[in-house]
Amino acid sequence: MSCSVEDLVSHITNYSSRKEYTLLNDFMNQHYQLLLKNQSLHDLILEALNVQRHSLGVLHIMAMKASCITSQSSLETVSQLMQQMTVFMSQCCQDQLNLARGCFANIFHHITHLLCERKIPIRGIKLMCLAIDTLQNGEPSSLTSVHADLCQLCLAAKCFKPALKYIDVEISKIDKECGMMTAFHLLSYYYYGGMVYTAMKRYDRALYFYEQAVTCPATMVSMIMTEAYKKYVLVSLILEGKLIPLPRYTSSVTTRWIKNYMTEYQELATEYCKGSATQLNALVSRHNITYTQDHNMGLVKQVAISLDKRNIQKLTKTFITLSLEDVVMRAHLNCNIEQLEKLLLKMIAEKEIFAGIDQQSKMVKFYDNPEQYNSCETLESIDKHVQNFMDIDNKIKEMNQAVMVNPLYLHKVKSSTSPHDEEFEAQLSQTASTSSSSAPRSSALLSKLNMFNK
Amino acid sequence: MSASVVSLVEPMQVDVEVQDGENVPVAAADDEEQRTFLIENPNLDLEGYANGYAGYMKTMRLIFVAQHCPSLRIESYRMAISHVKKTLNVALYQQLHDKLLESLRLANLPTEGLMLDVEWVDQTTKHAETLLEKLETDLKTFKNAAIKESIRRGFDDLGLHYLNMGDLQNALKFHSRARDYCSSPKNIVIMCTNVIKVCVFLGNWQHVLSYVAKAEGTGLGGDKDHCTPQLQTKLRCAAGLANLAMGKYKLAAKNFLQSSIDHCEFPELMSASNVTVYGSLCALATFTREELQTDLINCSSFKMMLELEPNLREIVFAFYKSQYARCLELLSEVRENLRLDMHLSPHINNLCQQIRFRALVQYFSPYKVADMHKMAAAFKCSVNELENELMPLIFNGQIPARIDSQKKVLHLRQTNQRSLTFAKTFKVGADYLHRGKALVLRNAIIHNNIQVQQSDANK
Repeated sequence: MSCSVEDLVSHITNYSSRKEYTLLNDFMNQHYQLLLKNQSLHDLILEALNVQRHSLGVLHIMAMKASCITSQSSLETVSQLMQQMTVFMSQCCQDQLNLARGCFANIFHHITHLLCERKIPIRGIKLMCLAIDTLQNGEPSSLTSVHADLCQLCLAAKCFKPALKYIDVEISKIDKECGMMTAFHLLSYYYYGGMVYTAMKRYDRALYFYEQAVTCPATMVSMIMTEAYKKYVLVSLILEGKLIPLPRYTSSVTTRWIKNYMTEYQELATEYCKGSATQLNALVSRHNITYTQDHNMGLVKQVAISLDKRNIQKLTKTFITLSLEDVVMRAHLNCNIEQLEKLLLKMIAEKEIFAGIDQQSKMVKFYDNPEQYNSCETLESIDKHVQNFMDIDNKIKEMNQAVMVNPLYLHKVKSSTSPHDEEFEAQLSQTASTSSSSAPRSSALLSKLNMFNK
Repeated sequence: MSASVVSLVEPMQVDVEVQDGENVPVAAADDEEQRTFLIENPNLDLEGYANGYAGYMKTMRLIFVAQHCPSLRIESYRMAISHVKKTLNVALYQQLHDKLLESLRLANLPTEGLMLDVEWVDQTTKHAETLLEKLETDLKTFKNAAIKESIRRGFDDLGLHYLNMGDLQNALKFHSRARDYCSSPKNIVIMCTNVIKVCVFLGNWQHVLSYVAKAEGTGLGGDKDHCTPQLQTKLRCAAGLANLAMGKYKLAAKNFLQSSIDHCEFPELMSASNVTVYGSLCALATFTREELQTDLINCSSFKMMLELEPNLREIVFAFYKSQYARCLELLSEVRENLRLDMHLSPHINNLCQQIRFRALVQYFSPYKVADMHKMAAAFKCSVNELENELMPLIFNGQIPARIDSQKKVLHLRQTNQRSLTFAKTFKVGADYLHRGKALVLRNAIIHNNIQVQQSDANK
């Protein structure tokens, strides 16, 4: 077919007016390559179309336009594209968008890539936030592939607050994006998200994120998982003082790989647990190259500092007062008295220990934790936690329910436990009473859910 | 959350891990030292010591003393040689002879008159060989005749013969083979005691324990003939010895304390004084005060055994009366002598250490505040040393106190249970949230069939 602007426009308007969006989708996909070549036509076509009514068409053209932009293109083109996307998002029609979500998300992947290449990541942050909002469409706990892009841009720009808004929310749904959501996006999100939290020193969340990245189901180990594991080890040491074992549902490929290849980090963990700072430092200098190559040297240094702090904290359990020299000796510290004083002051300020320093007698007095748990804040905090527990509990119950009434699951249960007819009857009655409509799922998925539910 | 609990890691490294006294591993680093230590001035009456034993045990103990005590070396080698000559152990005789010559030369003493009794060697070798042949042919005949009882006796005799010759492995082999031919419980008991004996010599402690269990299972069926107190005591002591050697001091103590003096007649295993020493030391190191009172102090049968060893009696009573300085002093006095004991030697350091720790814990138990100077005087060490000793004990939770290093005072630590509970609750809550969220996420992942696969592996 000819590739004139008028033809295309007429095709798009026709399909849109007849609301045959799927056909339009197919049509655009079919002629993708052809249209791609005619770059100059893109802008003309866009002018002729109305964003509101022809969202799908506009989207496809924009996608083609985005893929035409290369590293050589000018900054102007990129900014223009970003502006157009902003306008699009403010006016587009959600129904039409739903048919080509993957395409939509892809544009943003491309933009992120371009911005990072040109070293101006900060420009894209607002755009990504808008994109996520559009894709989530009112469900804040839905994960999209643009989440990973946002985190990546925030990390590159060292501007973390915009990302926090999204990563603080728990994910309970994953947006398929018409089949274009892959493990890559998931892993990237959790890896970058973990890095954002690490940079903000919220180590507990960081640990959670890295753990999710490492425990993703896998038949092959990906680079992202390996990097995530390395950071997992380091953050675990800083936070808890020991390497917290991975959950049991970590895939065996990953665990085997970790045992064989992550030796430097395992050694670091074992050395840390032994408690000697000098030995730890010796080990660190031995494996200096590995850590630097992995860009983890900063974290490793923090690990070393945390060991010193932990040794001092041990002393609070056995002593009430102690002279400064004794502290240095008993905690096996490698510093002199002034440095120790500074370290103690910092720890006291950060509420890592409770102590007082008597400069005249050069004594440190350790106090008990003054937290009495009898204030309003405690009550509020407990209340909030209980709310969280109930939310999570409800979610899990819903999940359980959804699987239980799945006809495929029931079929499998019946075939495996046919003598236990009563159980089956009970489940049937449950199926009848609850009225949920779950879409049929593939048998592969079913077996996984089966394992998971046990 | 406004508070964070300072969570602590593993206890500080101590040479000896003070747990409950059970299963304390013998310090492996001291193995080298163990093999080569020397005692300079023991006051050990060698004759009296050796007379407490018989058979192979006597020789082994004398050799041990000779290896580790230069002053008594020559005498013990001499005694060992004269004893060995009564057995058929030619190889050992030659070894001992060489060692004796060497030590005489080192001590610049005259060596004339000390010739290898070649005649005896030849005679004994021939005798041993003929005896072996005879026994073997006998056994063959018995086997052909298929008389169970005689076969069993044949095996036993062969086992004894090998033991006499010093071939422990074969002795064990033949004694165990007799098992299949045991017809009555009495036979089983005899077989078990034989095996136990050889296993003790071999150092095969697990075997000893299993055979003791076996013997007890059968022999105590009720028949007075073979369920004698002697047998019981013997089995108990063998079990105690095995537990001691494996480092299970509490079990060993329990075993030893069940024996009574009248029935300690097994010089091939150990002497009565051995039982006393092992039993009381293990008990002191591992028993709580109540157990010490019921099982040791108030136990009439063991009390008589304590009379054999007045030193040990003093130590035990001093400990019980909380006269720790005296107790530890006496302990250090007998320590050197005890290091010459073959079975106790690798464990004596461990045991003394544990006794000392237990004394420290007991000392502080009635106090809320204790002056460390007084405590150091009671334990005859400096305040700094005491502080170092107390640190691991406090860290392990055995002494619930804290040290005020400035005033050198030990304060009882009052834990605020309420705060602890709150802190724990928050932690448990956080854990639960963590896992709950992970579960929800994982469900979403599986639902969408997301998996790291071949094509993603490069990313």
